[in-house]
Amino acid sequence: MLLLASTIDTAIIGKGLMIGGGLIGPAIGIGLVGGAYMQAVGRNPETSKFLGQALVFIAIIELMALLAFASIFIVK
Amino acid sequence: MITLFADSGPAVHITSAQLFSIGPIVITNAILYGWICSIIMCVLLIGVARIVTLRPQGGIVQFIEVGVEFIRDLVETSFEDKKISFKYVPYFVTLFFFLLMNNWLGLIPGVGEAFSASGNPLLRAFTGDLNATLAIGIVTMGYVYYSSVKEAGVKEYFSHFFIGSPLNPLYLILGLLEMITDATRVISLSLRLFLNVTIGEIIIAVFSYLGGFIAPLTALPFTLIEIFICALQAYIFVILSVMYLAITVNHSTEEHLTEDNIPETISPRAHEALN
Repeated sequence: MLLLASTIDTAIIGKGLMIGGGLIGPAIGIGLVGGAYMQAVGRNPETSKFLGQALVFIAIIELMALLAFASIFIVK
Repeated sequence: MITLFADSGPAVHITSAQLFSIGPIVITNAILYGWICSIIMCVLLIGVARIVTLRPQGGIVQFIEVGVEFIRDLVETSFEDKKISFKYVPYFVTLFFFLLMNNWLGLIPGVGEAFSASGNPLLRAFTGDLNATLAIGIVTMGYVYYSSVKEAGVKEYFSHFFIGSPLNPLYLILGLLEMITDATRVISLSLRLFLNVTIGEIIIAVFSYLGGFIAPLTALPFTLIEIFICALQAYIFVILSVMYLAITVNHSTEEHLTEDNIPETISPRAHEALN
């Protein structure tokens, strides 16, 4: 295990896992919000004025992805 | 041999850097550009306010008017009482334009890595610094807390955390959790704005590095996305702080409890079981 750590830069693997694992959740979440919005507009076209509210929820979800992105600069 | 854009990878700066110091006060590049942006904003907005007329005009005046009306309608529709909402329109309009202009002026070429002083960029977007966004967040949430206590009264303000009587242990724990959630709003507001602006800059830097000779072409789509995201983040900062204020103020003007001190949210069947 010591040999592996000395030959391979494990920080790269850590960063890859961090980005992959940290972005998959918010991606699913934003997909759900967008899907729910499109479904609501499809059923009742008058709800298309609530795009601003949908974007607010997307911003709340997006913060988690941004935190994961920012953390890769801490890993050395 | 021509060296390409940057041979040692994209230059990425997450934090602001010290340029010089006046006594014990450290002047960073974000502060310097914040001053420049503030002067530009004062000149632009005061100038527009001087020439605005009743008859609609084109150009920059129309753009500012659309922004002001957009935020005014947003604040008015959030509050149930229109009279209360008029008091809070000026602050949120100011906040929106401050964030929007700071975000957009941080995107223009020349700000960032273009000019450097002793290894650090000379100018940096003001909202791309956590100290700046934290200051904006603290001021905004301080204003929101002060206004909601002033509108609702101290007792009503603290009672809006609890859905029922605080003597009930379940409602007490839920209310305390709600208070902790309330305290994290400053951090979430400021972190969201800071990370969006900074990571946008990093993405533009990475893609202009990958582009090499055709760097303007590869960075252009991400710059266009950033223009949209910067406007969206200013809007989201404002609408979230308006909602935090409106929840408390609207809550104080209505009665959520039935005569048995049981919240309406509990279903009628549970209501019967409780009796």
